[in-house]
Amino acid sequence: MKRVALTVMLGLLASAHAQKVQVPVPIGVALAQTSNTALLGQEQVIGAKLAEKHINAHGGINGTPIKLVFQDAAGDENSAINAFQNLITKANVVAIVGPTLSQQAFAADPIAERAKVPVVGPSNTAKGIPQIGDYIARVSAPVAVVAPNAIKQALKIDPKIKKVAVLYAQNDAFSTSETGTFQDAAKAQGLNVATVQKFQTTDTDFTTQVTAVLNSGADLVIISGLAADGGNLVKQLRQLGYKGLIVGGNGLNTSNIFPVCQQYCDGVIIAQAYSPAQPSAANQLFVKEYRAQYKKDPPQFAAQAYAGVQVVADALRALDHQKKLSQWNLDDLRTALNKQILAGKYNTPLGEVRFDKEGEVLQKDFYVAQIKMQDAKNGSFVYLK
Amino acid sequence: MELSQLLQNVLNGLAIGSVYAIFALGYTLVFSILGIINFAHGAVFTLGAYFTYTLVVGQFENNGILKGINLFPNGSPFSGNPWLFALATLIGAAVAGLVAVLIERLAFRPMRSRGADPLLALVSSLGVALVVVNLIQLLVGAEIYNFPSDAYGQVQPALSFHIGDRVVIVRTVQIIIFAVSLVMLAILGYVIGRTKIGKALRAVAENPGTASLLGISVDRFILITFFLSGFLGGLAGTLVGTAFGVAGPYFGVTYGLKGLAVIVLGGLGSIPGAVVGGLVIGLAEAFVPAQYSAYKDAVAFALLFVILLVRPQGLLGRAQIQKV
Repeated sequence: MKRVALTVMLGLLASAHAQKVQVPVPIGVALAQTSNTALLGQEQVIGAKLAEKHINAHGGINGTPIKLVFQDAAGDENSAINAFQNLITKANVVAIVGPTLSQQAFAADPIAERAKVPVVGPSNTAKGIPQIGDYIARVSAPVAVVAPNAIKQALKIDPKIKKVAVLYAQNDAFSTSETGTFQDAAKAQGLNVATVQKFQTTDTDFTTQVTAVLNSGADLVIISGLAADGGNLVKQLRQLGYKGLIVGGNGLNTSNIFPVCQQYCDGVIIAQAYSPAQPSAANQLFVKEYRAQYKKDPPQFAAQAYAGVQVVADALRALDHQKKLSQWNLDDLRTALNKQILAGKYNTPLGEVRFDKEGEVLQKDFYVAQIKMQDAKNGSFVYLK
Repeated sequence: MELSQLLQNVLNGLAIGSVYAIFALGYTLVFSILGIINFAHGAVFTLGAYFTYTLVVGQFENNGILKGINLFPNGSPFSGNPWLFALATLIGAAVAGLVAVLIERLAFRPMRSRGADPLLALVSSLGVALVVVNLIQLLVGAEIYNFPSDAYGQVQPALSFHIGDRVVIVRTVQIIIFAVSLVMLAILGYVIGRTKIGKALRAVAENPGTASLLGISVDRFILITFFLSGFLGGLAGTLVGTAFGVAGPYFGVTYGLKGLAVIVLGGLGSIPGAVVGGLVIGLAEAFVPAQYSAYKDAVAFALLFVILLVRPQGLLGRAQIQKV
């Protein structure tokens, strides 16, 4: 008798705690809105907001609107953890898109994993992110696939290339893994790596590295870094008299480098996980909306954040067909949503993406582009076939 | 090391070291008068660069409240000519100086008039620094803004000369930085050492109480000190901005820390010490081999640590003598 009463009591308690999904459906966005990572984060916020606007303008989730709940994850691990906790416990979100940096993902994603909240990483490219847990996926491809293409393109433009100088930002997890791929690819093409130079993403003066490159007699320079340092490095290479080809890694794949290296950006070859020239309807619509507001082509970070929100919304739409979202218990929906995210196929601005069972993105298209500057400030990435 | 490499490193070191020196002078001036470190100095440095950028370009395209603003639809009157660019730089530095004065009124004076512990003033300046940095981001976003490469006219981007079969290359902007820093240091040395204002400043630094009895308005000279300090910080900001770009609102943070190392190394409160300290750290960084250049910042502080073990008062500081 006692046991029955206890069971009934527990059942009542559990049902009192079983929360329904709110309407509009809250999706968490934890990105860097402050700190020096905000340069990337603010592009991501723009991408996420454009996705929200587009989805709600087209009827939301079968008539139910979505609402993005933004929490600043700044550039450090603690802020990302706080943002995740607030989104999970206070905002009761169904999923989280974020954080901006891989280092933050390693710290904050386990929080979501324990709470069984699906996470879609929009820009975490380091090794091991999808393996953090069952609830962790990413739309940002590790670009090991891309590097060899960029070097092949450089050799196509200048077949006489023999010696390569490689430079990379050693305090950035992504750049250090990318440079390994680049160096292997260069050796595989029979090129001689004449010098390897390191720098920090926070560096501004690259005279030492550039002097070493010039003295090495390299006729191809490969840079793995981010927009500010990478752009500055390109500028100083050219100003100090380097005349050969330059290949930039995925971190330089943003129009944010145009104002940094200005006319000196011209001709830089870039390996890309996203290209505004990608012909799919989803991308062309995104490019049009972005251009209308910002008068320039969307950078990769905006496109990937847009894709992250879109993946969550498309998966929600599939679940809503089974049962109206407002009738789901929050915990059940989170679990079902995680399964659905991994099961679906999505037509995003990045092209078609799917996920493997660990949550690693399977992306169809990668690109190589060359920067063409119209004037000191405006340029574009010209897609190389 | 080959002669060409040696020369190249010395030139690189002098250029960046001279920026450290004028940046650190601002720290030192305030320290010598008030005996406190003004942590907002890095933020003032950042502001100086942004003010000059506003005059020379006047466009903030992408983010923040000022998004889309264009002050000069027909091109800035301060762009394309070295003298006008220099004028914009001086105006930018002067406005940064005024901000420093404002910081003194808001963050330091109330503390001083209540006889608060100097440590509190230090914390309050840290607060001001954070507010300023976040305010910049709110207004213009986190983008890197760059001066157009023809902002000071059509100059050669770099000069090179041969030593044997090796080339030594100096960016023109590095030569400008070094020259401007030398001129500023000379002017400041003259003002402090040879003028009435300088005499009064030294009196206030020596003993504010006695200076006040002698009819020197201590508060006014503290304001003058903050203006000079902000002016030098803002000027350093523009110089670095022209060489490497105005690297976002957090651009001054690294220089703030480096400046701290410079003044401790040179000797707290010593003006020649700030100059020597800046040049020593600049040169030490330049001699870090290229493949280890990512550890430049660590070198500055390691050097500081070693020198303090040998000379706790810094290179040119005066040893504290305590009477018992």
